[in-house]
Amino acid sequence: MIKRQKALLAAVSKGAVDMLPLSLAVLPWGILFGSLAIQRGLSGFEAQLFSALVFGGAVQIVTVELMAENASLVTILFSALIISSRHFLYGLTLREKLRVQPLSWRMSIGFLLTDELFSLSGHPRAYQNKFRLYYALGAGGSFYFAWNTWTAVGIVAGSWLPDLTKLGLDFAIAATFIALVVPEIKHLSTLVCVVVSAFFALVFSLFDVAFGLVAAAILGMLAGFFVQKLRSK
Amino acid sequence: MTYITLLLLASITFTTRYLFLEGKLPIRLGPNIRCLLSFSGPAVLTAIFIPILFIHQQQLDISMSNAYLWGGLAASIAAYKTSSVYWTIALGTGLFLLTGMFF
Repeated sequence: MIKRQKALLAAVSKGAVDMLPLSLAVLPWGILFGSLAIQRGLSGFEAQLFSALVFGGAVQIVTVELMAENASLVTILFSALIISSRHFLYGLTLREKLRVQPLSWRMSIGFLLTDELFSLSGHPRAYQNKFRLYYALGAGGSFYFAWNTWTAVGIVAGSWLPDLTKLGLDFAIAATFIALVVPEIKHLSTLVCVVVSAFFALVFSLFDVAFGLVAAAILGMLAGFFVQKLRSK
Repeated sequence: MTYITLLLLASITFTTRYLFLEGKLPIRLGPNIRCLLSFSGPAVLTAIFIPILFIHQQQLDISMSNAYLWGGLAASIAAYKTSSVYWTIALGTGLFLLTGMFF
């Protein structure tokens, strides 16, 4: 029994260690959110609650900007839905692995299912046994802790930091995602998928298409899928 | 008001993440759909970071003075050569900051 607990604890810490580079890389983004929220008139408590409950960087930052512009609630919720809609794809991708797990596990993993946790979920046996569930809990939980810590730093520093939105902190996000995508390109199908997704992401973004991100991703996925089908014939 | 917004937002992000993990949803995914979904990671992440690099003030910015492109290039090479998140971010951000100072 003790041995088993030790093994589960080891799984949790392995998850946290594997997540560590991503937890550190989100530091500028977390500080940006915390300070922005204070500068746009939220209280420290409200700002922290955003990170604790909403737990989505882009949604939080866009919402704070919209609230400062006095946007309507409908506008705020709809933009949150647009930004979050990519998670439907993640949920679908992990569905066959997670739908058989107990409710408490599905709820916890669901709550923690960020881009970062999803990118650590690629193993064929991910979520298939207790150890791998605890691994995901360690990875997702430590990322949650990091996001909330960086937010708190931003809140405390917020009143004497300059407006960080113009400083290019979004480059940290780009670099992180490059680190997650490029090593995954091992087959022609993935390369085609990425190129097609990139192309349409640019087009849709330039023409301000709603749900453009998800649409671009789905077109990329279809392209990769067809290349794989053609080559396996 | 802020608190209502907060709770509604939290339910949106949670729902988008949790919905398809619910076993009672009457959805079965065939092998083709599963193969299609196996591309979701790289497809979504690419669709997020490419506009960050290329689009500024709603315009396509392909020029030597776009530090994001230099940084992105360095990050891509580092990721390809090392597969390390640390090196990718360090080298990418390094060239990003350097070119940002020059131009």
